[in-house]
Amino acid sequence: MNYLVHIAIMIEIYIMLALSLNLVLGFGGLMSLCHAAFYGIGAYATTLFMLHFHVSFLPAVAFSLAFTAVIAFLLSFPALRFRGDPFVLVTLGFQIIIYAILYNWISLTRGPYGIPGIPRPEIFGFQITSIKEYFVLASVFLVIIFIFLIPIYNSPYGLTLKALREDEIAAESLGKSAFRSFLTAFVLAGALASIPGSLYATYVTYIDPTSFTIDESIFQLTILLVGGSGNLKGPVAGAIFMVVLPEALRFLGLPSSIAPNVRQIIYGLLLIVFMFFRPQGFLGEYKVR
Amino acid sequence: MMNDGLMIKGLSKSFNGFFAVKEVTAIFLPGRISALIGPNGAGKTTLFHLITGELKPDKGKIIYKGDDITGLPPWKIAKKKIGRLFQDVRIFKNMTVLENVVCSLFSSKEESLFFSFYPKKRRVMDIAFEKAKDLLSLVGLRKEENRRAGELSFGQQKLLAIARLLALGAQVLLLDEPTAGLSVSMRERLLELLKRIVAEDNKKIIVVVEHNMSVVLNIAHWVYFMNEGKISFFGRADHVLGAKEVRELYLGLSA
Amino acid sequence: MLLLQILLNGLVTAGIYALLAIGFGMVYRSLRFFHIAYGAVYTAGAYILYVFYCKLGFPLVIAIFLGIAFSVILGILMDTIAYLPLEKKGATAGVLFIASLGTYIVIVNLIALLFGNEVKVVLEGIQPSFNIGPLILTRLQAIQFIVAWGTVLLFWLAIRKNLTVKALWAMGEAPVLLKVLGFSWKRLRIYAFGISSAIAALASILVALDVGIDPHVGMHAILTGAVAMLVGGMENYWAWVGGAFLLAMCQALSIWKFSARWQDALTFAILILTLLFRPQGLFSPLKRREER
Repeated sequence: MNYLVHIAIMIEIYIMLALSLNLVLGFGGLMSLCHAAFYGIGAYATTLFMLHFHVSFLPAVAFSLAFTAVIAFLLSFPALRFRGDPFVLVTLGFQIIIYAILYNWISLTRGPYGIPGIPRPEIFGFQITSIKEYFVLASVFLVIIFIFLIPIYNSPYGLTLKALREDEIAAESLGKSAFRSFLTAFVLAGALASIPGSLYATYVTYIDPTSFTIDESIFQLTILLVGGSGNLKGPVAGAIFMVVLPEALRFLGLPSSIAPNVRQIIYGLLLIVFMFFRPQGFLGEYKVR
Repeated sequence: MMNDGLMIKGLSKSFNGFFAVKEVTAIFLPGRISALIGPNGAGKTTLFHLITGELKPDKGKIIYKGDDITGLPPWKIAKKKIGRLFQDVRIFKNMTVLENVVCSLFSSKEESLFFSFYPKKRRVMDIAFEKAKDLLSLVGLRKEENRRAGELSFGQQKLLAIARLLALGAQVLLLDEPTAGLSVSMRERLLELLKRIVAEDNKKIIVVVEHNMSVVLNIAHWVYFMNEGKISFFGRADHVLGAKEVRELYLGLSA
Repeated sequence: MLLLQILLNGLVTAGIYALLAIGFGMVYRSLRFFHIAYGAVYTAGAYILYVFYCKLGFPLVIAIFLGIAFSVILGILMDTIAYLPLEKKGATAGVLFIASLGTYIVIVNLIALLFGNEVKVVLEGIQPSFNIGPLILTRLQAIQFIVAWGTVLLFWLAIRKNLTVKALWAMGEAPVLLKVLGFSWKRLRIYAFGISSAIAALASILVALDVGIDPHVGMHAILTGAVAMLVGGMENYWAWVGGAFLLAMCQALSIWKFSARWQDALTFAILILTLLFRPQGLFSPLKRREER
C-alpha cells in the first residue's frame, strides 16, 4: 500500500514539473534543457533555508520560490537572445553549470556527499510524519498549482505565447513582445519547478546533485514529448505514463544491474517513435518543430 | 491632415555597400490607398521592413502622426497601430481561425500574466471572441472559424491575416502583394474590403505593394514608382501608369 | 613547470578535440543537422576496438581498422534508417534533434547492456614515455598528437584538393550548385556521415587506448565537439580547430588553477559567452544579418 502511495507522490511531483515546463515548451515553443536545474535549486534552497536559518517548511518554500525566480530571471537575459539549436545549447549550458556548482561548491551544498537529515514539513503546528500525510501535502500543492496554472493556460497571455510560438515575427508584427512574454514564461516555469523540488527534498529527506542532472532534464522533456504539451492533459498524461513505466518494468523481473539501461533504451525508443509517428505526443496540442 | 499621415524622409539602407533603399522620401495620406510599384529587387519590401522596425535605417526618419517612430522594434510599431501583411502571409497555422483573430484583440494590459487572474477576464475574453466572429464575418471567413488555420487556402489565409490587422485596430495597413496568388473572385472580395476600410474610416492609411497594374488602377489614389532603391516617379495612379517613361521602365525591365 | 606540462598535455588534447569538432562540424555544416548521436558513434568505435582486440584477440592495427569501419557503417545506417525518412516526412530541426537524442540514448545504453557500465581498460600496463627537456610525454600521447594533428592537416588538404570533399564542404552553403556539378545529394550525405563517423571513431580509439572506455564518454565527446565548432565559428575549417585549441587550453589552465571538476562548466561558460558577444564564432568574420 505504501508503495502505491509513494508512486502517487512521485506522479504528483512530476505533474508539477511537467506543467511548469509546459509553459516554456508547449506554449512558448522553446526547448529548455535546464528545468532539472531549477528543480534542484528549489530542493537545495529549501533544504538550506530550513537547516541553516531554521525556518519552517512553508516560509522555506516561499523563499526558495523567490530565489529560483531570481535565478531564472537572470538566466533569461542571455538565453532569450537565441532560438532553436543555440537556445537548447545555452539552456544545456546552464544545466551543466548549475550542476557543477551543486556538485563542487562543497562548503555550501556538501557536493557529492549530499545533505541528509532534511526535516519533514511542519505545517501550522502539524508535523507530517507518515507517507499518507505526505501524500495529502503533495496533493494540496498540486491543487494549488492547478488553480494557478489553469487560468494562465486559458488566458490572453496563453494565446500570446502560442502566437509567438507559431510565428514570432508575425506575432511581433501584431504588437506582442517576444522577449517580455518569453521572459515571464521562463521565470514562472523555473519558479514553479522549485515547488516539486522543495517537496522532493523533504520527502526523501536526503538530496544530492545526482538527482538533478542533464539526464533528469531530458527525462522531464521526454514527459512532455511523449505525453504532449501545449495543453493541460498532455503533461498530466505524460507524467503518469513516465513514472508508472519503470515501475511496470520492475514487474518484468529484470536484474537490477541492467534495469536502468533497459529503462533508458525504452525512453530513447519512445523519443524516436514519437518523433516519427506522433510529434504531438499522446494528448498534446503542440507538435515539436 | 498632414499630421495624420505616415511620412518617410530621406530613408536609406545599405547592405555591405549595396544600397537597397536610397534617400527615399514619401508621404502616405489617410483615407487613401497608396501603391508602391516597381520591379523586383527595387527595395519595396525593404522599405516596409524599415517602417515596421524589422530593419534599422542607416539614415532618415519615419514619422507617424507627428511622432518619430524610426528604429522602434516591430512590436512597438504594431502597438502604434501600424500593421503589416507579409508576402508569405504568416498566419498562426496550428491555432484555429478564430484564435488567430482573437489574439490580436487584447490590449497590453489584458495580455499580461496578471490579467489571467482578474475576475473580469472571462467576460473580456467572451467579448473578444464575439468581436472576432464579427470580424470573420466581415472578411467572409465566419464559417471556417473553428478550422485549423493551416488548412485554409492561400487566399483565405490572406483574408484571415487582414482580419487580424483589423482586430489589431491597425490604422496603417502595409500590405505586401495582397492580391498575389488569389483567384479572381477572391481578389474582388479583397479589393472591395480594402476600399470599404478607407471609406468607412478616413483616418486609415493603406499602402500596397503591387505588381498587378489593373489592381493598382482599381484601388490606388496615389502611386510611388520605385526602382533601384529610389523613388523615381510618383503621382496619381492614372498619371503614373500612363506615363511613357514608367511603362518603358517597368515593362522593359520585366520583359 | 607543472604549468608547462599541463600545457603540453593540452596540446595533445587539442588535437583530439579538433578531430571531434571536425567530425561533428562536417555533418552540421553540410546538412545543418545537430547530430547528437555522433556521441554514440564515438562510443561504438571504441567498443568495437575493445571487442576485436581484447575479446577476440585480433592484432591491434586490424582491430583499429575494424573499429573505424564499423563506426562508418553505424553512422550511415543511422542516417538511412532514422534521419533521412524523417527529413522526407518534412521533419524540422527540433524533431531531428530529439530523434538524434533518442538514437544516442538507445545505442549508448545498448552498449552498456552488453558490456556493463564500468570503465574498461584497453591497453594494459604503463606506457613508455620520453622526456622533452623537463617535460614528460608518453608514447601514446605522442601517437595521439601525431595522428590527430596529422588527420586534421590531411583533411584540410582533402578539402582543398579532392572534389568530393570540396563538394561536402560547400553543400551547406550552396546545395543547388551540387546538382549542377553532377553530385547526387544522397550520395554526398552518405559521405558526410561516413567521414564524420570515421573521424569520431578515430578520436575515440586514440582516447580509449590511453584511458580506457565506458559507455558514457560519448556525451562529453559530442558536447566538446559541438562547443568547439560553435566557439570557433561555422565559417571555416581552421576556426573549428581554433575553437578546439582554445577549449583544450582553457581546460588545461583551469586544471592548473582550480581543479578538474569545473571543466564542463567552463566549456559551456565559454560557449555562452561566445554566443552572446561574438555569435559568429571567435575566429570567423561577421556575417550580415540578412545572410543568417
